[in-house]
Amino acid sequence: MKAPFSAYLRAIKPALKRLVELLGRDYDYVSVLATDSKGLAVRISQRARSVSSETMTTERGVVVRLGKDGQYREFALSDFDPDQVEETAARIRAELASQQTLLDTLGVKPYATGALPDEPLTLFVEKETETLPETADVKALVEKLTAISDRGMAADEHMLECMANAQSTHISKLFLTANRDLSQSYVYSEGVVVTVMGKDGQVQNGYAGISGLCGPELFDQLAEKLDKAIAQARELLSAGRIEPGEYEIITSPEVSGLIAHEAFGHGVEMDMFVKNRALGRDYIGKRVGSDLVTMHEGALCAEDVTSYAFDDEGTLAGDVTEIDRGILKTGICDALSALRLGTVPTGNGKRENYAHKVYTRMTNTIFDSGEDKLEDMIASVKHGYLLEGMESGMEDPKHWGIQCIIKMGREIVDGKLTGKVVAPIIMTGYVPELLGNVTMRSRDREVFGTGGCGKGYKEWVKVSDGGPYLKTKARLG
Amino acid sequence: MFETVLELLKASGVHAWEAIDVKERGWEFYFIRHALDQNRVRDIETITLKVYQLSDDGESMGSAEAELSPTADEAEARALIESLAYRASLVKDKPYTLHAPRAAEPTAAAPSLDVAAIAGDFLKAMRALPETATEDINSYELFVSAKTRRLVTSAGIDVEESFPDSMLEVVVNARHDGHEIELYRNYKSGSCDAAALARDLAKTMRYGKDRLHTTATPNLGKTDVLFSSSAAVDIYRYFVTRLDTAMVARRLSDWALGQSVADHFDGDKLTVETLRTLPNSSHNRLYDGEGAPIRDLVLLREGVAEHYIGGRKFSAYLGLDDCFVPTNLAVSGGTHSEAELRSGAYLEAVEFSDFQVDAMTGDIFGEIRLGYWHDGETVTPVSGGSVSGSMHDFVKALYASRETVQYNNWRIPALTLLKGVTVTGG
Repeated sequence: MKAPFSAYLRAIKPALKRLVELLGRDYDYVSVLATDSKGLAVRISQRARSVSSETMTTERGVVVRLGKDGQYREFALSDFDPDQVEETAARIRAELASQQTLLDTLGVKPYATGALPDEPLTLFVEKETETLPETADVKALVEKLTAISDRGMAADEHMLECMANAQSTHISKLFLTANRDLSQSYVYSEGVVVTVMGKDGQVQNGYAGISGLCGPELFDQLAEKLDKAIAQARELLSAGRIEPGEYEIITSPEVSGLIAHEAFGHGVEMDMFVKNRALGRDYIGKRVGSDLVTMHEGALCAEDVTSYAFDDEGTLAGDVTEIDRGILKTGICDALSALRLGTVPTGNGKRENYAHKVYTRMTNTIFDSGEDKLEDMIASVKHGYLLEGMESGMEDPKHWGIQCIIKMGREIVDGKLTGKVVAPIIMTGYVPELLGNVTMRSRDREVFGTGGCGKGYKEWVKVSDGGPYLKTKARLG
Repeated sequence: MFETVLELLKASGVHAWEAIDVKERGWEFYFIRHALDQNRVRDIETITLKVYQLSDDGESMGSAEAELSPTADEAEARALIESLAYRASLVKDKPYTLHAPRAAEPTAAAPSLDVAAIAGDFLKAMRALPETATEDINSYELFVSAKTRRLVTSAGIDVEESFPDSMLEVVVNARHDGHEIELYRNYKSGSCDAAALARDLAKTMRYGKDRLHTTATPNLGKTDVLFSSSAAVDIYRYFVTRLDTAMVARRLSDWALGQSVADHFDGDKLTVETLRTLPNSSHNRLYDGEGAPIRDLVLLREGVAEHYIGGRKFSAYLGLDDCFVPTNLAVSGGTHSEAELRSGAYLEAVEFSDFQVDAMTGDIFGEIRLGYWHDGETVTPVSGGSVSGSMHDFVKALYASRETVQYNNWRIPALTLLKGVTVTGG
């Protein structure tokens, strides 16, 4: 079935067009993004169970962007009334005029920016899904997650808690300007199983997740993830500590994805180029990795949690080759940054929700796969680790440092896994060195979309990332 | 709409309910250097409903929650409540009661909610910073809001309070011989404290200057690490999280009331308390998010757990009726002077990529962006490498200064020394 576009947005669309027309009398550029995204989140553990209609991306609201004389401003409101369009336009003008008074008093000048293009375009996209979060069988889902939690608890005497979480969001967005009329509707879902085990005063957790551009039907696969989460927690409980140092490493697809995201995902967000906050600006056309490093970014790169048809500025989704055989080709860009840099937007202008500003943000960030077999990669390692499971990462585009917190490492000595597990692991390094040392990559690759991404420490959006197994060198602690 | 929702909830026949209405008027300003990138206004209302249903036999209770758009009409609100009532009936948790109404002790003075004036103070402060040719502001983002929150429950709670909420994100550059670095700051507060802001950004610019002349952090193995910046808040958050009823009831924390949190202390025995107010905190509230009055309360006294904190559900499961979710925290009990803590060989870590403390596993991590290696004789700025270890161990070997410092809603020792931290070289 098609994910149906919001009836609410259909209903207010004529009034929003009228708002664009009214404000267009005072401003050079007017756009409206209206959102109506509904969700379902069910979280089941032994001691805490809940059902909610809210996920990270549920929202209903309107944001108006206005440009005039090189200055851009926005007004976000939650109470748009289609019967009060003139009053709303007046309210927007008055509040922004108050802000302008303050700015003028202080002598603030705008970062001079040209006029956003407004080429005519009409688009209506409803992506496929089998089910919708609004009409999902919540009773069956609660039972399904309860069964997973119960089975996890029974699996090990040291199990303290077993959580099974499932959430699904039906996104509807409408983008209007004087010449553009874009509508999209799609559903994405994600689920995770978390096991918490305690032994001898130590507590550890394991997890496994699934995600996809689909409806709650995805959760039929969640039970299969339980065994992985149990095994991970068990191994962490008996894991040793790593001797800090530089090692040969093989990154699992999940860890490869984390590196893609932190190393060159954030590193080529071009709003950072405008501020001179990213070294990537000076490395376009230069080598930043070995010949085996090719990386793509874009909503069209994969079918996962952020595979939209157009971004929050009305730019169509793209597929950008950021790194081609080790050479940095380009970055990703929102519309205003593109104007300022004299380039074109790539469909990566995203907001946390309608109430937040647009920044250049990632969508699907993925390393290309290669021709190597995992067993050959392991066999090639003299002394190192196979790294599995991601906890978190932090970008550093200005200095190209990278920090990744990784759940565990499996020791490899003389080309064989020794069975020894170390955890947790902090991997740090210099991005060009890390990618420059990539010497092998596996044939298979996976994409993961259960996480979120902040810009610095805020502005959380959904992203996915992934890649194949990669062999490189890194500093581990 | 909110009044309509309340009437619908009262007439719905559900076992219990909570409704929260938050209205926010916010001004935002984004700058590249001191040129305006964008200005924004937020005029947002968020209505959140939570419905509870008791099973027929009274053995279980469930809840379901959702946001209701202020654009919804009565029919949409009624349908949502019916949906929540059904969904809540599917959830089988152990029953508990909502907080009973209790009046909070009033605070002295209501803070200013003048968004324009607060924003103006911040912008003036930023434009008056003493920048130089080699240390300056790369960019900053200012968020100033006035929020009003009303909470109504079926148990008789009906409280409303208004407060300012500000955040300033600043990126500082320093450069030398064509090499440029950046440092990041995120300040949260009620309104603008221009003097404190100027002081901290001046210090940040000094750090930036030092960051340009670092050598790689040596591979120090187990070393004493001194925390003298806001990263230390994460160390102290570990103590509060371990005393949260959600952690205790789920057996993720084994800290028991009346017992010491360590079998022995080589270092300081800390005292941790909640405070209703801290000067200019963005978290000064009379009530928590479930309507429990917030009060001054000692959680940990000289290393002994005295009170738990936490939300209603897990507190009720532990048989505790007077718990609340704290907003401001204060840590004391440091017995050392700065000179004592700064003696001998130690690494002073002041900037991290992202310092993290996992209250459940105890693991701490952080990549060092700027540190000072004090070898006993000389001081060397260093960067790269990481710190790691377990807070479960550091609880016994934590040495704190008597002097304290405030980071928004936390007042903590100005200096915190952890003994035996693993330092991997850069």
